Amino acid sequence: MIILKSLMRQIAEVRERASHVLSMNRRNLHFIYPRNARKYFPIADDKLLAKEVLTPVGVPMPQTYRIYSHFFELRDLEKDLAPYHDFVIKPAQGSAGNGIIVIAGRDDDGNWRSVGGKIYTLYDLQKHITDILYGIYSFDLGDQAVIERRVEQHPEMLRLSPLGLADVRIILCDEKPVMAMSRIPTKLSNGKANLHQGAIGVAIDLETGVSTHARLLGEEITHHPDTDIPLLDCHIPCWPEIVDVALRAAQAVPLKYLGVDIVVSTEGPMLLEINVRPGLEIQNVNQRGMLTVLESLAQPEVNHDA
Amino acid sequence: MKEVTAATRRKVFIGVLALAVLLPASLVAFKLLVLDYPMAELIPTPSYRVEINMQVQGHGEDIKVSTFLPRTDSRQNVSDELNSSGALTLGLEADALNRLATWKADNVQGQQDIRYEFSAQVRHIRYTIPDSLRIPDHYPAALVRYLGDEEGIHLNAPEIASELRRIVPEANPTMRSALTRIHRHLQDNYANRNFAGYTDALTALKLREASCNGKSRLFVAFARNLNIPARLVGGLILQQGSKRITHQWVEVYINGHWVPFDTINDHFAEVPANFLTLYYGDQVMFKHTANVNFQYFFKMTKRLVPQPAAETALSHSVLNITNLYAAFEKLGISQNLLKIILMIPFGALVTVIFRNVIGLETFGTFLPALIAAAARETGLLWGLVGFVTIVFMSAVVRKGLDWLQLLHSPKMAIMLITVVVVMLGMSVVGVQHGLFELAHVSLFPIAILAITAERVALMEAEQGGLKVARITFMTMIVISACYVVMDSLFLQSLILAFPELLLILVALNLWLGKWIGIRVMEFLRFRSLILERGR
Repeated sequence: MIILKSLMRQIAEVRERASHVLSMNRRNLHFIYPRNARKYFPIADDKLLAKEVLTPVGVPMPQTYRIYSHFFELRDLEKDLAPYHDFVIKPAQGSAGNGIIVIAGRDDDGNWRSVGGKIYTLYDLQKHITDILYGIYSFDLGDQAVIERRVEQHPEMLRLSPLGLADVRIILCDEKPVMAMSRIPTKLSNGKANLHQGAIGVAIDLETGVSTHARLLGEEITHHPDTDIPLLDCHIPCWPEIVDVALRAAQAVPLKYLGVDIVVSTEGPMLLEINVRPGLEIQNVNQRGMLTVLESLAQPEVNHDA
Repeated sequence: MKEVTAATRRKVFIGVLALAVLLPASLVAFKLLVLDYPMAELIPTPSYRVEINMQVQGHGEDIKVSTFLPRTDSRQNVSDELNSSGALTLGLEADALNRLATWKADNVQGQQDIRYEFSAQVRHIRYTIPDSLRIPDHYPAALVRYLGDEEGIHLNAPEIASELRRIVPEANPTMRSALTRIHRHLQDNYANRNFAGYTDALTALKLREASCNGKSRLFVAFARNLNIPARLVGGLILQQGSKRITHQWVEVYINGHWVPFDTINDHFAEVPANFLTLYYGDQVMFKHTANVNFQYFFKMTKRLVPQPAAETALSHSVLNITNLYAAFEKLGISQNLLKIILMIPFGALVTVIFRNVIGLETFGTFLPALIAAAARETGLLWGLVGFVTIVFMSAVVRKGLDWLQLLHSPKMAIMLITVVVVMLGMSVVGVQHGLFELAHVSLFPIAILAITAERVALMEAEQGGLKVARITFMTMIVISACYVVMDSLFLQSLILAFPELLLILVALNLWLGKWIGIRVMEFLRFRSLILERGR
């Protein structure tokens, strides 16, 4: 009897805790479908379209150098790239950081060198852009390749994340911030800010911009595994501006449940990407479920698509 | 651009859900109560399509081949017989017990194929032998031949008599106790040997091991020695697939019935529903002219058919399902294909549960259900082997082609060619090694595997080989689950009798479509939030 009672109590506790966690099914059904009409997805999926919508409302994004839409344009690639010392090549509709090459400079033979030290010949770059145009990185639909200015990290961010470009992911629902984290690349993640590939997720307090937890591949950590720099109680630079950029972006697009990815450059925050299906791992990183906050923020459910 | 409120949407949802439950429920009730559908007879019974495939090689001589064909009796129903024997002509003769088919031709040159097909439905039968029944002293004259000696039985051999005295010592045992002890003795103390040749009763006794025919002859010898009429029965154990082995068991005459015993598979006074009787007596299954390189095998395909009684009952009813299937057959759509199509929704439901409730990732949303449907031709094991081979080959070929630096579409075309070649290769290997299930891999719908190959390639490029391996594994789990459900005879029967139940599947999916619970895999993923120290 006593065992049964304690079991019942434990089940009740688990249910209570589970009720704070946003699950995949609930995220899709209660948050994404009612707030993000499919017809507006291109604004998030296509970085060029996002720039068109967001730049006018004062959301800073990396400057576009060039856009390639057709194979024949690649003939002039070498001439086109000549003025730029460093730059980024990315697919306009890529996701999860796939298909992105960050060029840090050229070597004596005239080949390009990536931040990871990999050498790219002219043919390599042409081949990569061809792959992008063929849609290898965007579910096989034809795509465009964008040559962008390379973001230089803010010194404080560079201290926290010397192995690659760290970003700040903020989830917003109905134009209000819900939860935030920073993603810091490691050796393991090959310089990519992707949690699945071994980047560190750092929970950021929305009010103060101070880091509260850090997590690497499912384990709580306190220091960067490669540099040993402490990751907790750090101030993310320009935090009020970051939140402001996120809010501006959220107000400007007709997508009302989204994740925005912002980097902190030497010139302040810059928005890189909008995500209409932001992942759920941010809850593990924050050691906190976000359903309770979401439900207190969310406006009564209305349909935007019908 | 009208704003639909959540409340309206909810009402419509509940309406549709109710309709999807109530409509099929009332149709089923109507069929059962008003139209008097005979529920028990509606459930289709398993039936086997049996092919006897024979081959001879002629060098100008006259050739004659003969074998036994099953006959319809109270236990088994044989129908839709079909002969295709090319140059050889078929003659049928029957006596009181057996049907003998003989194929003949004069001056035969080259290879000749003979195929005789029939459908067989067989019932399980079990007899109860009364405890007090004694072994009679006298039998009608017609049974005397089942009491005497014949070749291979050695009725009067002293070894047989002394062994029998050992297991049945008393002078006047009851029928039941004598047969029980003979049966147990042969079942338990004689090893089963998987030996295809002829074994007589005495040899079986001396070796204390035998195949079916040796044990059966010894059983007959023991029984006749006790003055119980007994005879050999030759038949075929029906099971999906191909084989060359026939089986022998015995029948004992008890109280006016021929009661079956099998001391290889331990069937006492019973035979299961897949033992098809081909002949009675100590016969040789195939006889043929010498030196014609005679080859044979049996091929059996299991399928469900409406019971004959239900068919006649339903042909008079308004909502006639058997006519519907007849119509499909006329269009060239076999009932088997129709069944696969009807089972795909079940596979889809299983996939939905695995994806949304359990939380496994798979290649494509319904690929597992479609591959499971395709695997019905090959069996689950070979279906999975085919699937994994395709995934593996796709990954390997993709790696190689990547190194060559090719453009996307031509690369995919080469991968598709690889898929076709691999499947052809598997079929050829299957045929050459007699793995007929594997040979059916070629019937794997190419489109499905082409999609798989392409998805694998893209995922490999985007997320790496480890991810592909993980998802392959999870997809295999879901394929297996789909296969088990889609292969269920019960569900197949149910859906054939009540196709309106598909609406119930719609209802289930509607409900699952609104299910916002935490997936099983998410419990694991967020365990630190849910189980250990939630805040």
